[in-house]
Amino acid sequence: MIKCENILKKYSDRTVLSIPQLEIKSGESVCLTGANGSGKSTLLKIIAGVIPFEGKLEAQGSILYMPQKSLCFDMSVLSNVTYSLSGKKKDKEEIAFEALKKVGLEALYKKNASGLSGGEAARLSLARLLVHECDILLLDEPTGAVDIEGTEIIENAVKSFVKENKCTLITATHSPLQAKRMSDRVIMLEKGEKVEDSSPEELLIAPKTDFGKKFVDMWRY
Amino acid sequence: MLLTMDKELIQIIGVTLKMSFFSTLISCFLGLPLGVLIERGRFWGRRTLKKTASTLMGLPPVVAGLIVYMLFTKYGIFGSLGLLFTVEVMVIAQVLLITPVVICLTSSVISVSGKHLSETARGLSLSKGKTLLLFVFHNRRALLSVVLTAFGRSIAEVGAVSLVGGNIQWKTRVMTTAILLETNKGKFTFALALGMVLLLISLIVNIGASLLTKRRDSDD
Ligand SMILES: Nc1ncnc2c1ncn2[C@@H]1O[C@H](COP(=O)(O)OP(=O)(O)OP(=O)(O)O)[C@@H](O)[C@H]1O
Ligand SMILES: [Mg+2]
Repeated sequence: MIKCENILKKYSDRTVLSIPQLEIKSGESVCLTGANGSGKSTLLKIIAGVIPFEGKLEAQGSILYMPQKSLCFDMSVLSNVTYSLSGKKKDKEEIAFEALKKVGLEALYKKNASGLSGGEAARLSLARLLVHECDILLLDEPTGAVDIEGTEIIENAVKSFVKENKCTLITATHSPLQAKRMSDRVIMLEKGEKVEDSSPEELLIAPKTDFGKKFVDMWRY
Repeated sequence: MLLTMDKELIQIIGVTLKMSFFSTLISCFLGLPLGVLIERGRFWGRRTLKKTASTLMGLPPVVAGLIVYMLFTKYGIFGSLGLLFTVEVMVIAQVLLITPVVICLTSSVISVSGKHLSETARGLSLSKGKTLLLFVFHNRRALLSVVLTAFGRSIAEVGAVSLVGGNIQWKTRVMTTAILLETNKGKFTFALALGMVLLLISLIVNIGASLLTKRRDSDD
């Protein structure tokens, strides 16, 4: 369970995020959406605990987080995945290779990760997380730079991971279709404030904002 | 005459390499972790340390030499050690000069990818140790050039080492101080030859280093 109370994030004097109340239950799959600069990444960073903030946050359990600008380490693709594992080298490599298969990168396992394309890098970043277990999975635009096929691969890998781990999932995305496929709850931010928070079905019937209307229009056609 | 010259030349090269090697080793041993910590760590006095390091980067070698000289002279705090005019004290002066350079360069190398790398590491719940190691490993190519810069500074340094080393034949004479001496004596050819050797050493070290970090599957 994740509980936010009076969360406030300021950069110098500018408030970029202000969430008076937000609760996400264990096992929920949530999509976080909103225009550029609306505060999606900021909220994820706060929950992941990578930036300081004002207010109260309760996040129970272990967290895995993939930043929007997730970096591939300057080492082989396989080592990127094994680096965060512990244990015997051979075991680690077996686990890592399995994860690479899940995201379709097994053929590139020897390649240096700094030479990967944007979409490949995103898939590697995901594979790096998938070898662990967690209670909360935070993904910041995991398919931002990924082609159609890659998007499908990533979504499926995430879905089966979430099912296996019974973990809470929060995905930041710009894609209404992805939001529909991946989540049972859509949270929309505007200028750092929560303006929509409902199931896709409810949002479809009664969007409160212009952005919300445009968003659900994408589901109709 | 030539033979003794050759013998002496080899000895001078030996002292130079020994001095540069240990100066580089110690200043990197201190400066690399400090540089990473200054950039990524959260501790009291971090900013002051950063400012101090960047100020000391501009310390004129002769002044560093003077300070070390005064500390190690007969009546200085460390006078009893009797280290003045030895290779050891030359290394100490060099470490004083080079460590700030290593700290500052390391911190700027780390700052390029620092934020994203540390967010990624946090997202994977890496331990502090593994994160620090990752910072060094991920940036190893850039950090190697920091090490090479340190080596280059130390092998090229004259002011401080001639002051605290004294340019004593068969003992503390290094390439640069020898070049200075030979030039003063009017033996330009020999001085120039020494200069060539110095350049050659630099070249070999650089080639060795670039071979060490060559990427096989990339253009750069
Ligand atoms: N380190 C920072 N310093 C100053 N301002 C920042 C910083 N990080 C974010 N901001 C500001 O906070 C606001 C929210 O940024 P955030 O990254 O959360 O947006 P976002 O919703 O993720 O946008 P995008 O869709 O482009 O990823 C933006 O206006 C941004 O300029
Ligand atoms: Mg963002």
